[in-house]
Amino acid sequence: MIPSWILDVFAAIMLVVAAVSAGRLVAARPWQRGARRAALADIDVAHLLMAIAMAGTLVAGLWTLPGGAWEAVFGVMTAWFAYRVVLDAQVSGVRALAGGHCAPHLTHAAAMLYMFAAVSAPAAHGSGGMGGAMSGMGTLELPSLAFVFALALVGYSIWDLDQLSGPGTSGYYSLAVARAAPADPVLAGVGAMTAGAGAMAGMGATTLSPAAGAAVAAEPVAEPAGIAQVPPASGPADGTGVLAPWVATGCRIAMGITMAFMLVIMI
Amino acid sequence: MSETAAAGVQPAWRSAPGAGAEAARGGPDARRLLQLMLAGIWLLDGVLQYQAFMFSKGFSDMLAGTASGNPGVVASPINWNATLVEHHLVLLNAVFATIQVLLGIGIAWRPTVRVALAASVAWALGVWWFGEGLGMVLTGDASPVNGAPGAVILYALLAVLLWPSDRGSPASPAPFTAARAVGAPLARALWLVLWLSLAYFALLPGNRAPQALNGMIAGMESGEPGWLAALDRGAASLVAHQGLAASIVLAIALVIVAAGVYLPSPAARGTLVLAIVVAAVIWVFGEAFGGIIAGGATDPNSGPLLALLALTYWPARAPGRAASAFERTTAS
Repeated sequence: MIPSWILDVFAAIMLVVAAVSAGRLVAARPWQRGARRAALADIDVAHLLMAIAMAGTLVAGLWTLPGGAWEAVFGVMTAWFAYRVVLDAQVSGVRALAGGHCAPHLTHAAAMLYMFAAVSAPAAHGSGGMGGAMSGMGTLELPSLAFVFALALVGYSIWDLDQLSGPGTSGYYSLAVARAAPADPVLAGVGAMTAGAGAMAGMGATTLSPAAGAAVAAEPVAEPAGIAQVPPASGPADGTGVLAPWVATGCRIAMGITMAFMLVIMI
Repeated sequence: MSETAAAGVQPAWRSAPGAGAEAARGGPDARRLLQLMLAGIWLLDGVLQYQAFMFSKGFSDMLAGTASGNPGVVASPINWNATLVEHHLVLLNAVFATIQVLLGIGIAWRPTVRVALAASVAWALGVWWFGEGLGMVLTGDASPVNGAPGAVILYALLAVLLWPSDRGSPASPAPFTAARAVGAPLARALWLVLWLSLAYFALLPGNRAPQALNGMIAGMESGEPGWLAALDRGAASLVAHQGLAASIVLAIALVIVAAGVYLPSPAARGTLVLAIVVAAVIWVFGEAFGGIIAGGATDPNSGPLLALLALTYWPARAPGRAASAFERTTAS
């Protein structure tokens, strides 16, 4: 049996992620900025829900919704990110699956859906749902799928860590430029995504139309060139503080590692 | 990503001239990608180490089991370590798991890549002795099919070969990634020793017995999902009573692979592909993906590491050709 304090530590990390994601949503105020900006909040909503669900699966005392409800939530989330990946793929082809903006989120959502759908819960704790299952070391059906998901999650986490710790040529998640925001975050996101996709494929000349890119760009991203200082009087501006791109990426790394941990211990 | 970026010195877009066409065009260089793959395997190892089995007496028993057949000077420290782990099982295993997770994160996080690679060498050597009984290479039971010479020693070797330094120059770049850190002659010698030793292990009496390979593969079935168990059964039946012939074929393939890095580029590529195929066959049939899917595995075993190692010897594209390809890309 895994010591409960280890599960508690991972659950605590997830609660921090949930709090940060909620903070990002509050700071961004997407409901005041029109439909297009509201659509950009999906990453933070996904992070918030996943973190709450994972904390509940790790520690029975943090259990919130029945497993069936979480299955529905993550089913919808998976469908949404699959749609976003398809849009991404229409622009940048199969590269979208490896280095696209939404593919990691699709993987996270699908892994969560799988975890809730495939767990076989022992009756030992009787609390129902995944909380009881995890505390009683429930196991997953189709463990091969758990292995594949764990590999993918580890891969994305490592890639995110690499991108977060150095700007490469795209400045995609650069800590160094995170304090500055582009004049138009959405269009800057397109540019960064373009360069990021190019880096993944070892190609530097990828092209992407702004209109198509705007549909798939979710997090405002600053680039080394063409950045503008955030006006100090504009309130919680995008790309700074809790809204900095690296904060979302950090949350994603923490969730990816925690999710891989959960999948492995439930094999 | 340039060499300097991989080492965390400065961003790639500020890298010095001569860092190569890959850096110029902005893609991560081959060595950085290989470092990230190594980081991923370390991270996976760490996560695996958190499994429930590792917090049970079964883990310390597994450690003690590696002393069997080893000389006393090797076995005694293993037994001491196993006893220590048994007495402080939860704490030490949690520390082991966390160290491996941190090694993965440290290699992936550019400013700490050197520290993490250096630490991974020390950690891997320790685990090779105390956790794997030197890969059983001194016991006569080592086989390339079940993980010889010990998966974890390959982590150390990869960390050395992927160290972020350059012995080449813009005028005479290293012929392959592994040569950048230690130079081509030493890198080739390390490859030769590794793969020749695998060929030697394949021909040990215990491995060339008629049912040796069959038993090894069939033994991996337990706890595996149906499809993988069926694959193992099929492979085991193929080599039933064919231990000697299978060992000879495997040894020949391993010798060809060993010599491959001394051949001209086209032939070297062919032997490296052979190395990757051999590693994949070993991983799927001999190691059943390291037993991860069955639960209780501490690492993915040697298959992925042998493949990763082969990639570090993949001949680099000539600078002129790379530059031409880059120019074509940017012009289009």
